[in-house]
Amino acid sequence: MNEKIQREIFHYFDVNKIENFVGVPDSTLKHFIDEGLRVKKIIIANREEEAIGIAAGMILAGSPTMMFMQNAGFANSISTITSLIQLYEIPILFLIGWRGYLKDDAPEHEKIGKIQPQLLKSLNLQNKVLTDKTWKKHCKWALTQIQNNKPAALVIKREFLD
Amino acid sequence: MIRKSAIKTACNFAKNDIIVSANGFISRDVYSSFEKDTNFYMIGSMGLASSIGLGIALKKPKKKVFVFDGDGNILMNLGSLVTIGALQPKNLIHLIFDNNIHESTGGQPTLANKINISKIAKVANYKIFSVKSMKSLENVFMKINKIKGPILIHIIVTKSIEKSSRVEVSPKKITSRFMSAIK
Repeated sequence: MNEKIQREIFHYFDVNKIENFVGVPDSTLKHFIDEGLRVKKIIIANREEEAIGIAAGMILAGSPTMMFMQNAGFANSISTITSLIQLYEIPILFLIGWRGYLKDDAPEHEKIGKIQPQLLKSLNLQNKVLTDKTWKKHCKWALTQIQNNKPAALVIKREFLD
Repeated sequence: MIRKSAIKTACNFAKNDIIVSANGFISRDVYSSFEKDTNFYMIGSMGLASSIGLGIALKKPKKKVFVFDGDGNILMNLGSLVTIGALQPKNLIHLIFDNNIHESTGGQPTLANKINISKIAKVANYKIFSVKSMKSLENVFMKINKIKGPILIHIIVTKSIEKSSRVEVSPKKITSRFMSAIK
């Protein structure tokens, strides 16, 4: 996904009353995070589970919050998602950068990247993969989910190698 | 000082404030000592009570937020001390009930007595207090009213003989009543 769209996605959520953006950096989401940092609306945590905890606290305080991370960190967070987010029915918005989507991505991303869609499915976590053409429709869907008190996950594929 | 009596004293002190309690016996003790809608009993997600408390404290700066944590819990999410120290929520009071064991899982040792948790918090820019007796715990509670957070109180406790019952409010209900109560 190109830089311009990533920056637009940040502003889309900012304008649509997502008040906080908490997460752990990921190269796939670089421009999204940069845009948030530029306007001083990003909190960087040390680990993904911690970021989810902070985001959950903000949501409990009545403040809609997005939590962003790489898919490797998403895998770290599975128990937190089941025993905090889903158990307590906390309507969090996840943004996940998907490494290992391309077959020749770095070797450490290969296995976890391959099972990423299955992990989301096993958790029964409602999700959409964002593309340059459909991002707005899917971001709108995600906002509707959280307004209906349900968590939602948006995924951005890493379509470049470095 | 037995953990449950220390928790009871702390609950009384925080009776008009928000409490986020760590999983295991800490949440059970809070539930049986002072049940109220502004308590968030975290029964899963071990280690995250301080992170949840931080999120609430940042968005509710006019309300006091108490985190009732354990040594096992904070050691599992030690980075949280750094994040809290960096973001400096003035309304966050972080209590660590340290029995040096994972009491809920059968009393296996933690590494808490090999290091100094409150020193770690101090270099992370918390204001710190360390107490071993009920009297000094009460004294610290008198003092902290005038101090801006983040504050960490390291409370050395012994394990309880009495076992508190499970939290009987459903997690879904904990969320909805907590959110309404702190609006």
